[in-house]
Amino acid sequence: MRTVQPCTMIGAYGFEQDRVPGDEFQIRMNALREAMDRKGCKAMLVYGDTREHSALAYFTNFIPRSRWALALLPRQGEARLLVSMSSRDMPAQRLMTWIPEVVTAWNWESGFDPWLAGLGWDAPLTVGAVRFDLMRPAQLQAVEKSLGNRLRLIAADDAAAARPTRPRELSLIRDACTVVSAGAGAFLRAWRDGQGVETAALAGERAARALAAQDVRTLVSFDGGHTLAPFRGSFEPRSKSTPLFGYIAVKHRGYWAELFVGAADQPNDVQHRVQAGLEAALRSAGPGASAADLYAQSTQFLGRTPLHHVLGGSVGRRIGLSTNEGSELRRDARHVIKTGDVYALHVGASDPPMAGAVASAMVAITTNGCEVLAQSPG
Amino acid sequence: MSIQDASAQEASVEDARVEDASVEDASVEDASVEDARLATTAGDLQAAELDGLVALNYGLNSFLEPHAVFVLSGVRPIGESAVVVDRAGTSTLIVTPAWDAERAAALSRTATTIGTDDLARALADALTAHRIDPRKTITVGLSTLGVGLVKRIEAALGGKVHANDTYARELARIRAPRELAAARKATWIAERGYEHFLSFARPGRREFEVAAELHCFMKGLGAEDNFLLLSASQHNLAVRAAGSRILDVGDIILSEITPCYQGQFAQICRTTVIGDPSPLLHERFALLQQAMRCGQAAAVPGASVGAVTQSMDDCLAAAGYGDYCRPPYMRVRGHGLGITSDAPGDLTIDSDARLEDGMVFVMHPNQYLPETGYLMCGEPVVITAVGAEALSERPAALDCISV
Repeated sequence: MRTVQPCTMIGAYGFEQDRVPGDEFQIRMNALREAMDRKGCKAMLVYGDTREHSALAYFTNFIPRSRWALALLPRQGEARLLVSMSSRDMPAQRLMTWIPEVVTAWNWESGFDPWLAGLGWDAPLTVGAVRFDLMRPAQLQAVEKSLGNRLRLIAADDAAAARPTRPRELSLIRDACTVVSAGAGAFLRAWRDGQGVETAALAGERAARALAAQDVRTLVSFDGGHTLAPFRGSFEPRSKSTPLFGYIAVKHRGYWAELFVGAADQPNDVQHRVQAGLEAALRSAGPGASAADLYAQSTQFLGRTPLHHVLGGSVGRRIGLSTNEGSELRRDARHVIKTGDVYALHVGASDPPMAGAVASAMVAITTNGCEVLAQSPG
Repeated sequence: MSIQDASAQEASVEDARVEDASVEDASVEDASVEDARLATTAGDLQAAELDGLVALNYGLNSFLEPHAVFVLSGVRPIGESAVVVDRAGTSTLIVTPAWDAERAAALSRTATTIGTDDLARALADALTAHRIDPRKTITVGLSTLGVGLVKRIEAALGGKVHANDTYARELARIRAPRELAAARKATWIAERGYEHFLSFARPGRREFEVAAELHCFMKGLGAEDNFLLLSASQHNLAVRAAGSRILDVGDIILSEITPCYQGQFAQICRTTVIGDPSPLLHERFALLQQAMRCGQAAAVPGASVGAVTQSMDDCLAAAGYGDYCRPPYMRVRGHGLGITSDAPGDLTIDSDARLEDGMVFVMHPNQYLPETGYLMCGEPVVITAVGAEALSERPAALDCISV
């Protein structure tokens, strides 16, 4: 789900080696080096910003709290991380990555050029670029200027996109699911206790942040579930006739988990149908299942009621270091589900004047089906 | 202006909400802010013989940058967005994702609002609808987007077009009455938050727990966003985001509390000691307070930002800390505040920006000192004829948490 991007990430984030030790990054870097060899690259430059940093975090553990960072990862030699923050802030940035050399990107020539020179100039070089589509034009110009004519920059997004979910990643996603379940539960309880929808969402956020969530995003419906809205701050009292429809996503140790939250004093037909749709999705989700089939199975119970428009035509997608790791489950999707993937599944409908609803779950694809990691509280 | 200048606890939240009634009403009807800006933009387009202006935002809400779409429409969209203004003054807001259109339309001051999942295509359609020749168009904020989206938008515009990325910053550099009221409300939230922090932070709590409580408390008072840094050490090198450190006696807690209310960020910088501060710490903190007062006095309309910065540095230099008035011992002496306009920019001695009556920014002579570590002292200010008036009720002091 798209949510409003906050200006910074507030919660604690560091390089917790008991959870993601250095040898884990050696494995990830070895895979990246193999990709460099396949592509004939002397190095990979991996970019991430405060909004989207999945690849950057995967290889470096670093998440930019504001602005951006660029990892300089050579085939041979020392890695370096350039962070778009002041030199004053570098000691704190060094706590978030295994890369020993973390320098400010604000002195570009002294941060990037000496590292580049270390690659050697004996022959024309090719350097792979990951997520440069996110980079601001002026920054790209600075990179290209430093590379000059003797170095060739090639897109290498596939090197990062094809990565499998590592066992330790799944463990961390389980933790995130525990936190989002606690947040969603608090959200629902506050509403059932008579709180208005924004107060209830804030209760959910508070519960998740108390469990060390680094970021919490919520959306709520003020119109009975037809659409969602970000924080308004009006904290209106609960309307007895309006059902609850909301969304909560948490980021914990870098990994996202998300759930929709819904309830009504008098459950209606739409709510029953979306729940049946989710159950069908859970039965169908397994290795080798076609994404398009999964979409069809999930939506068959909706009848002529359209898929809820907040879902953007999809009943799910992979989730992890980003809320959207791709592989969306759409009517026209062509991929198949793979063992080890983690999906956020959402089946929803809106049928005015009846209330809208979405039932959701977080699942890990196993060898013979899927394991439910979290589910909308009921 | 030329358009072609291309350069805690629920109970305490309830208590605070009741007290809130004494604060100037920031929600006063003043829709004319965006209307006036749209009209000014149309006038600037006519004067420059241009067809249209396209303002863009990448779905980011930086507290250090203007949000050109918000400045012109009054809407903070969820995702990437644009505002199209033509020389007749007709305007269109384009928001992503498509499902956010209804909310955006209810808030927007533009004539039309469109929801889309393909910003570049919707922008091309809007330019056609407005009969705008892309060759006679100026963009604002295109350079803040990722190159992937920039390329798609340039393709929609038929190639590269002229840019004026400072337009929104200049257009909104003086806060309108409604915006100033919102900035005052944001400051009020920050101060209530800090009071709550003083009652909540104690030995045994972790930094992130305190930051989480502070964040949620201020959100309960209406803060839609918050640039919140909060960290502790016996000898800080700088302020940083909260970590897992368990607070204990003798820790000096630094906090940069920056709630956003109705698009107006306001920042207070505070230094808090757990236990009794040493006389030396009191003495050194007083230096920062003195520097703050010097900066406020110097910050009159027409003064250069460089001169104001120098006045603060001079206080520290006079005490023997001249060599520390540079990174990494400090960053800047203050800065503009998004998301409306970040004018006058960073407070550095190199800046020749001139202050104007009604500008709002944060002034903070935060400083690393070798004997005490990094200390923080700062307030949001508005420029008046007699200097920089703090929006906060109580200036920063060296506060302590009793143990």
